[in-house]
Amino acid sequence: MALLEVERLQAGYGDVLVLKDVSLDVRAGEFVALLGPNGAGKTTLLRALTGLIPARAGAIRLDGERIERLKPYRIAARGVAAIPERRRLFDELTVRENLALGAYLDPARRRAAETLESLERLFPLLRDRADTAAGLLSGGEQQMVAVARGLMARPRLLLLDDPFLGLAGAVIRELGRALRELTDAEGLAILAAGQHVRRLLRLAHRGYLLEEGRTVLTGSGAELLEHPHLRRSLLELAPQRTG
Amino acid sequence: MSRLGVGGLLLAVAFPVLTGFHPYYLYLLGTGYLLASLASAWGLLAYAGQISFGHAAFFGLGAYTTALLALKLGVTPWLGILLAGGAGALGALPIGAAAHRLRGAYLALASLAYAEVLRVLALNWTGLTGGGAGLIGLPALRVGVELELARERAGGYYLSLAVLLVALAVFAGLRRTRVGLAWAAIREREERAQILGVSPTSYKLLAFACSGALTGLVGALYAHSVRFIEPDLVFGRYFSILPLIMATFGGLHTLLGPPAGALVLYLVSEFVFHPLLPRLHQLPYALALIGVVFALPRGLAGLIGRR
Repeated sequence: MALLEVERLQAGYGDVLVLKDVSLDVRAGEFVALLGPNGAGKTTLLRALTGLIPARAGAIRLDGERIERLKPYRIAARGVAAIPERRRLFDELTVRENLALGAYLDPARRRAAETLESLERLFPLLRDRADTAAGLLSGGEQQMVAVARGLMARPRLLLLDDPFLGLAGAVIRELGRALRELTDAEGLAILAAGQHVRRLLRLAHRGYLLEEGRTVLTGSGAELLEHPHLRRSLLELAPQRTG
Repeated sequence: MSRLGVGGLLLAVAFPVLTGFHPYYLYLLGTGYLLASLASAWGLLAYAGQISFGHAAFFGLGAYTTALLALKLGVTPWLGILLAGGAGALGALPIGAAAHRLRGAYLALASLAYAEVLRVLALNWTGLTGGGAGLIGLPALRVGVELELARERAGGYYLSLAVLLVALAVFAGLRRTRVGLAWAAIREREERAQILGVSPTSYKLLAFACSGALTGLVGALYAHSVRFIEPDLVFGRYFSILPLIMATFGGLHTLLGPPAGALVLYLVSEFVFHPLLPRLHQLPYALALIGVVFALPRGLAGLIGRR
């Protein structure tokens, strides 16, 4: 059984229905890419999965249990961590405090020191800038802290919105490798949305293409990279080898 | 603790001796400490991101609780003050519950209305509260010697100082715990706090209860110090707006900003403006608010770069 199952989900803001028909699933230990042009509903879908906006119709299941009506903090308590896009940190709080908030709930809290130690190896800035207010970091540094904060929760499912935005190429490669290692070695499930189409598809086991609020295409990373529709939709103007 | 803090504390402890137990100065500074505690209580709530325009509600509940217990049931003021803290905490819960749905200005207006409702209730429930005539003849607190207005005031001075120090110590401790972390996260961005697993409703309630308890306690101390209360005073706008201005002037979201702002403004008002412009001695409060808005967005604390 998949860890996360989304079935014919509809959601939106006010009178605007952004997600019209979304179905997807993510298994434990799987890295799944969520692709789509701007405005397709990627961020809206991640917000619905964290409980920040209500589902109008359809179902979201975690481990087989419906969660689409739960409050965000109840969903977090079930092992879902999210790293939202942009302005993701608490700017007035220090890096250390931001990370502590990532491990706010038990059982992550009891293992916070241990988790932090392994994350500091991946991102040395977590130690070097521990007492700096997060708002004073550069965009790329903030992104690293945001990813680290998400991992501090030791989640079962990690939702990432544009995780590579603002990061240098070398950091992207290293972060990608680290995330993939978490899925393969520790069984973490990742659903990552973003603009770095090739990078995400090369990392991912599978991917979904979202267009105008509908999941229109799915397949393995390699299949999608070669798929004519996805290439037309997302890669037409992009150079052949980037990301 | 910093050198500045230790120096200030020693000065505060030695102050009665240095001034030869001058009753007026002791009264002034003792009142200043009570206002500083009030500003700290308001600042604790602001630390959790909740802005109140109605702290007089909790202040008045505290004052009336201990006054009625003492006058109707003969309860000793010491117990009355503790129960007044409880009354302040309980009285803050309805507004804390409202904070579940109301944000920012709407919550502030609701708290203002709440204090007004209590004021009108106290004015009209004549059988219990004595109505607009107020309650007179409250017993004085005994700290070794009797703390009456015109007599030896060192006991009251030290009691006010102790309350302020305890309030600050509790707030400083809370800021380092998960509770303080959750408050800061809710203040900075509630939505993001929620997806990390922080339940805003319960932490807001806790912040209101803590702030209300301290405010009720201060209200009760004030009542036993002045020994006379009336609805328009203890439930009036003065005790709602004053902590807001003092804490904002001192520096929002800081530990020492609100009490420092309270002491500076109160003493400037009493020592400088009162002799010069007796009818306008509350002018510094208005000037301070204007100054903060236009020139000092982070208050006094922003000037010296403290958190």
